[in-house]
Amino acid sequence: MNLQALTDLWLTYQSTVAFVGLNGLLALSVYASLSCGQLSLAQAGFMALGAYTSAILTVHAQLPFAVVVLAAVLVPALVAVPLGLPVLRLRGVFLAIATIGFGEVVRIFFVNLDYTNGALGIVAIPRRTQLWMIYGALAVVLFVLWRIRGSRAGYALEAIREDEPAARTMGIHASAYKLAMLVLGAGIAGLAGALDAHLNFMVAPSSYSFSRVVDMLVYAIVGGTSVFYGPVVGAAFLTLLPEVLREVGSRVGLQPGPLRLFVNGLVLLLVILFLPNGLVSLPRRLRGWLESRRSAAHAA
Amino acid sequence: MGQQIVNGLFLGSIYALFALGYTLVFGVLDILNLAHQAVFMLCAYAALLVVVHLHLPIYLAFPASVLAGGLLGILIDRIAFRPLRGRSDSNISGLISSIALATILEAVGLQLFGPDVERFPLGTVPDRSLRIGDAIVSELQVVIIGIALAMLAVLTFLLQRTRLGRQIRAVAESPLAARILGVNVDRVIAASFFISSALGSASGVLFGLAFNNVAPDMGRAVELKGLAVIILGGMGSMPGAAIAGFALGLLEVFTVAKLGSSYRDAIAFGVLFLVLVLRPRGLLGQAALREA
Amino acid sequence: MRFTPGRLAALAALLLAAPITQAQTVVKIGAAFSLTGNAAAYGAQQKAGVLLAVDEINKSGKLPGITLEAVVEDDGTNPQQGIQVFDRFINRDKVSAILGPTLSTLAEAADPRAQEQKTPVVAVSNTKPNAITTIGDYIWRVSLTEAQVIPSAIEIARGKLGFKTAGLLYGNDDAFTKAGYDVMKATLEKQGVQILGTQTFSTKDRDFNAQLTALKNLKPDILFVSALVEQAGSIAVQARQLGYTGPIMGGNGFNSTKFIQLGGPAAEGVLVGTAWNRVSPDPVNLAFIKAMQARGTDPDQFCAQAYTGVLVIAEAIKLAGNKGGRDDIKAGFAKVKDLPTPLGKFSFLPSRDGNHAAAVQVVKGGKFEIMQ
Repeated sequence: MNLQALTDLWLTYQSTVAFVGLNGLLALSVYASLSCGQLSLAQAGFMALGAYTSAILTVHAQLPFAVVVLAAVLVPALVAVPLGLPVLRLRGVFLAIATIGFGEVVRIFFVNLDYTNGALGIVAIPRRTQLWMIYGALAVVLFVLWRIRGSRAGYALEAIREDEPAARTMGIHASAYKLAMLVLGAGIAGLAGALDAHLNFMVAPSSYSFSRVVDMLVYAIVGGTSVFYGPVVGAAFLTLLPEVLREVGSRVGLQPGPLRLFVNGLVLLLVILFLPNGLVSLPRRLRGWLESRRSAAHAA
Repeated sequence: MGQQIVNGLFLGSIYALFALGYTLVFGVLDILNLAHQAVFMLCAYAALLVVVHLHLPIYLAFPASVLAGGLLGILIDRIAFRPLRGRSDSNISGLISSIALATILEAVGLQLFGPDVERFPLGTVPDRSLRIGDAIVSELQVVIIGIALAMLAVLTFLLQRTRLGRQIRAVAESPLAARILGVNVDRVIAASFFISSALGSASGVLFGLAFNNVAPDMGRAVELKGLAVIILGGMGSMPGAAIAGFALGLLEVFTVAKLGSSYRDAIAFGVLFLVLVLRPRGLLGQAALREA
Repeated sequence: MRFTPGRLAALAALLLAAPITQAQTVVKIGAAFSLTGNAAAYGAQQKAGVLLAVDEINKSGKLPGITLEAVVEDDGTNPQQGIQVFDRFINRDKVSAILGPTLSTLAEAADPRAQEQKTPVVAVSNTKPNAITTIGDYIWRVSLTEAQVIPSAIEIARGKLGFKTAGLLYGNDDAFTKAGYDVMKATLEKQGVQILGTQTFSTKDRDFNAQLTALKNLKPDILFVSALVEQAGSIAVQARQLGYTGPIMGGNGFNSTKFIQLGGPAAEGVLVGTAWNRVSPDPVNLAFIKAMQARGTDPDQFCAQAYTGVLVIAEAIKLAGNKGGRDDIKAGFAKVKDLPTPLGKFSFLPSRDGNHAAAVQVVKGGKFEIMQ
């Protein structure tokens, strides 16, 4: 394959590669709360806050990109605090519903905000995001999560996830940890939002709907939430799969839209039913299965 | 003013029917079934197909769809919820499993029917309307409100006065105790799903008829409003869901009239939020919603 | 076989004829239309128009040595998808020009990409004024903007109906419907019509009863609606059901036969400003309509505009000296003048927007008719 062909291939698929990175960040933002057992679905709202903050600062205040990104991380993180305090007291499904509600409120807020052109959003944002920034951010976030994992905080989170009442009796400040992870998740989502805004030229409320956060959740679950890099695997898998299937699908007469949805749903269903710890647990499972086959063969 | 009340009750009855199904499953299984909106959508299409291709009148298509919806509900239970029954995190994994199934069903709908909006053929429902004061109420609207109230009555009767109803309430209280008492828990859960999805299906067909608009994404909007309704009414409470459904319908319509339509959706979520923060058990729900 | 003189002559003729058919260069045109999603009704018509135009041009021999090839892809009425389609067109398929995307909202997201990569784009249905072509000099527009159609449409309608007060209803989460509303509002104010009330909805809404009741209670002389076709149909139906009997005028979104289909009897008498005068006796227009109907499609404005888009690209190629490269086409656009199209004689304005006369339609007997 000559250089020209490679460059062309790259140009065509660079947006896909970028989306893989962004989706990885988004999946990790959902994971932040999942790692301590909280199903928080507010991330679309946090992403919107980060994206809009960055867009406004770039377009109206012409601030340098680094400053803009920093603001995009801080604003959702700050908003997460007054959100988390009342809401993290709720259990399971109720937390999920409350956070879904928050996400919708943010979206509707932006739809009605004339300063940002309401539903049309802000367009013509200069493209500042480079691929290395996305993957750099991803690497940093992964590093942070990895360090948390190995630390005492990591064990506390694990304990909260397993059994929150028990963790509390052991003296773990569950509320503080849960809030911290919510704030972390918010910051990550805001970061992804800012990068996305400066990659795709525009921000609009319709990009930050309930189905967006469902996508993020699906990436995280499919990848696996028992390890910190699981969500990224899920994001990569589910972003690339539709591209691969697009060619196949069109040959069989299936529309790409429904096909992508169907595959997402099917993969999620299979994972949740048969591979609850996600794709990252697949090698281990296969190994285990092969082992049991081998020992069965021996015994026979 | 009167017209807006009619508009509100009409919208509210659809919300109420949808929410009834939602809250029934939650009451029994402690799981939010997010595939409910897919049933809503598919059964609206089912009714459409029966009317358009089998040339049956709507008053036959409606019960047919409702039945189909119930059966679909049993299938959903079988595929998405039953295999997860034993697991410790079954309400979260159940939620996710239902999201997966909802996505699959929506994709099937999209592939089979295409993304375009479909209409019921002209003449499916009679065009008459009556004047009540300064309000114009179409026959369809009266019928829809009537069906919603009727189904609510039947459901209440079922739960309070029949054996199945007692069993459902027992399982909702404690599956283990119910099992010890000889109740076939799996069968009861399946029955609950049948009823729940039948209700969802009914609201879907009525919605499709009411706004003459059937499309693969019709479930999405109602799904989120439905969440607000069941929270307001109290999770697991049938009367709560019904009252909250009508209340939300009226609230939305008056918000549009007084404040402007931009805030219509915000009202539902604003209410959701206030309820969760101030009184999580809603109007008529049971307590014990916080973390222990 | 015996080589008789006759047979020899025939063989010779055959052999000599071969070199006359030259090698054909293929010039690819990417067409990004909404084949699924909210704008699918328009996309289907646009696709049909493009395919007809490409066939006709190839058969006509207008561009000797060049074969046009249309690559049609679905933008899903989704900005991210639109961007990806554009990327593929520019880098993988190496198209010389792009038609579309269908909605202004998507154009604002995807066109900057094409501008960046120096690929000409011809907008055939984007009608947001003071936008689209402002993205850069590779972006050209065939469709008239709302600012070009609505004012004259309202003036004609006012001349016929004499309304003094109006109610407005528009979708506030789509670039096009919002832009349409902005123009309607500005025009009405300029023409001295009093706006009694304004209501909004979102593209996902199905229930407009509350908004319509609120507007009806204000008793306006006419109702203006800026919506995409799916909702336009529902709005018309619900308005009539609620007992509003006054006239309704719609923006460009109503310009689809799908609206008539969805609205049923409620669509009767609805007015729409249009960029395509379908009853124009111009032979190019008549031929276009006949050819489309022969293919089983009753064409609407979107079809006519997409068809014209291809005609304009072909003309640009010809004016550039029969060259089909990206910059050739861009240079050719600047030279297009009074090109005969179903929309009328077409030229570009210095702003790279389209320029031709607009008209007003009214739905009568289940069909669009021009209001004279």
